[in-house]
Amino acid sequence: MNPGPTPVEIDKPDLGHDEETDAERPWIVLVWNDPINLMSYVSFVFQKLFGYSTVKADELMLDVHHKGRAVVSNGNREKAELDVFRLHEHGLWATMQKDT
Amino acid sequence: MAGSEKSVAFERSGGHITILLGEEERELIANLAGQFRSVLAEDTSPNLRRLYPTAYPDDADKDSEYASLVHEDLLRSRLNAVDTVEATVQADSIDPDELTAWMALLNGLRLLLGTRLDISEEDGFDPDAPDAPTRALLTWLGLLLEESVLAATTFLPPHTHPMTL
Repeated sequence: MNPGPTPVEIDKPDLGHDEETDAERPWIVLVWNDPINLMSYVSFVFQKLFGYSTVKADELMLDVHHKGRAVVSNGNREKAELDVFRLHEHGLWATMQKDT
Repeated sequence: MAGSEKSVAFERSGGHITILLGEEERELIANLAGQFRSVLAEDTSPNLRRLYPTAYPDDADKDSEYASLVHEDLLRSRLNAVDTVEATVQADSIDPDELTAWMALLNGLRLLLGTRLDISEEDGFDPDAPDAPTRALLTWLGLLLEESVLAATTFLPPHTHPMTL
């Protein structure tokens, strides 16, 4: 998996998640392809966690499978981190980054 | 993969899920659950890495902050799932919450075993390979997980995401 170029870090303490200095750039949550998780399980998790329809969840799952990754949610940092945590809790390979 | 075939592990019946597993299969699950607890509790195996993924691949500081924030929660959630499976491994039927715990264990075991085997998508099954028993176990756990997904899907509420049809 290629994490891409490293963004320039703004010099600020990042302990307070509510200090969203650049709220106009939301965070996106990505799920990455992995050889272990079952396709049906990945689609189920998308439906369960995000309320996606079966059709939409399957579409995202197939994007993960064929394109290597898919954006499954977005929002401020706090929400994105919670979504990443819930995906990790379900064993999916999720990361978050600033939308570009 | 399971789909139209007859269920061998889980089947919804009313508000519950019937467990169709035989005695030896239940003993195997109980045994694996105990082993999984030990590996989780010890928390040193490099094969656990898929259970605690990176959240911020571009930012080591934020990632270690995230990891320290969630590691205990992820561990506790998985240990709770192990407890629930052990408590219900001989049951005739389980409720949807208990099925969620079974799924967490099945998937957690698959992540652990798949990482240990260094599984890739192209891997075929070679019955003579030294890791064949572990690969067979991984496949069997996958079959159980497939059936639990089918059963659990029937309990999902109608989809709620505003952006989808």
